[in-house]
Amino acid sequence: MAGTGGEKPLLFLWGKRSLHRLPLIVFTDLFRSRHLLRLLVKRDLNARYRRAYLGYAWAMLEPLLLAVVYTFIFTILVGSSDPLYSVKIILGIIGWSTFARSLTTSTKSLNSSINLFQFARVPKTVFATSGTLTNAVLALISLTCLIPFYFIHELPITVNLFMLPVWLMILSFTGWAIGLLLAPIACKIPDILNLINFLVRAGFFLSPVMWTYDMFNSRFGSGWHAIVAHMNPTVVPITGMRDAVIGESSAIPGYGYGMCFCIGLLAYIFGAMVFERKAHRAVVNV
Amino acid sequence: MIVVMRLEDITLEYPVPRQYRKENILPSGVRNISLEVKQGEVLGIIGRNGSGKSTLLKIMAGVFPPDSGTIAARGSVSLLAGVGVGFHKELTGRENAYLYGALMGRTTEQIDELIEEIQSFAELNHHFDRPIRTYSSGMKSRLGISVATAFKPDLLLIDEVLGVGDVSFRQKSENRVKDLIAESGSVVIVSHSMGLLKSICTRMLLIENGSVVEMGIPTDVMNTYSQQMRVNE
Repeated sequence: MAGTGGEKPLLFLWGKRSLHRLPLIVFTDLFRSRHLLRLLVKRDLNARYRRAYLGYAWAMLEPLLLAVVYTFIFTILVGSSDPLYSVKIILGIIGWSTFARSLTTSTKSLNSSINLFQFARVPKTVFATSGTLTNAVLALISLTCLIPFYFIHELPITVNLFMLPVWLMILSFTGWAIGLLLAPIACKIPDILNLINFLVRAGFFLSPVMWTYDMFNSRFGSGWHAIVAHMNPTVVPITGMRDAVIGESSAIPGYGYGMCFCIGLLAYIFGAMVFERKAHRAVVNV
Repeated sequence: MIVVMRLEDITLEYPVPRQYRKENILPSGVRNISLEVKQGEVLGIIGRNGSGKSTLLKIMAGVFPPDSGTIAARGSVSLLAGVGVGFHKELTGRENAYLYGALMGRTTEQIDELIEEIQSFAELNHHFDRPIRTYSSGMKSRLGISVATAFKPDLLLIDEVLGVGDVSFRQKSENRVKDLIAESGSVVIVSHSMGLLKSICTRMLLIENGSVVEMGIPTDVMNTYSQQMRVNE
């Protein structure tokens, strides 16, 4: 505190940090800033629905209303015979939104939080992470819209249900990690933000939101199409979410799980390295 | 005397906008700046708009990393820049005060101890628990000054934030900063208010085009600055 400067050592503000330690440093910084992180998440949650009459109910209503629209299109207009199609669509929407929002908020974090880190020296990963955590909390709230379907379709309540939030967290983590990788680049090349907006829209159709893993399997089999499909980091987690709720087991091959975890892990390792090395200088461009 | 901050050969250049790159324009920023801030010292920084004063403060605060050179600090450093910067319009004054405190590295308990002082200094009364979007610009300024000056760092960096609010609040803010100077011991202040700088600074620095022109006794540096301004007119 004030006036006690003489007791403290003179420390370099921008000391060198070895590249291979950066992924660990990101987590250490986040743990040290947990108080700020908690306040930022609270701020985002409070601010998001403060003026809405229905408040947090919107987190639940949004996927529910979208599911009504898509179910109408696919069951009535296209003629899908699957009675659980609406449940699958709701899970697809929640899973995809969680990934897409994590990716978008962490990619935009350096641009959108410039006001907050212009006057204080705080780890910039905090701003990329707070948006992701806010979206994860909203996604968990939105899962409550599944409760009526448990009664309507007499869905089984099994141990697998515990995997539902786990898959959701994997989607959130992967989106956040890819966002870390892209955020410093987006400061220098703003076109990245437009590209992300496009990919989020295109990804909605390329991910198992309106289609299911079984539909894909029966149409394309397990050839090279399947390998390409598993490169999409949302395929396995969204299918996992559906399996956890419906109590089925999709025939996801072992390499599918492997690719899903490797993509998430590699995105985090490279994302943390690029973010920690480039983000501080990148904000000068904003 | 104990050094609280040391800058050695600091350079930071902003990228030149694409449309000006062919014109061989000198990038803005700061170049080859070396200085020490000692405990108990009040260092004033003057210079024309765009000379690099605010950039230098951001480098000192650790917000921007320099392109080259080293910077070392002893203890906590806070930058008081732009009143109301970082406030969220949907949150109340109280909620924003907690958020600001957390950004300055304070815990909820530490902010709890200061929250009444923040509320009374800002003179916001019941408005303190209303969303910022309902505040006038003067009310936002009062809250900003109150919050920013409540957290006392080892080295306080002030960037042109004392000219806000009505006359009485301006005087109150200046007194608050003088108290802070007395308590924290070390202050670096950027201002165009020569009267204020003359009354509080022990040393002064003149910057032009990102480089140090003169550093020394306030009256000498101010004279050089006045001459420079006259020549440019």
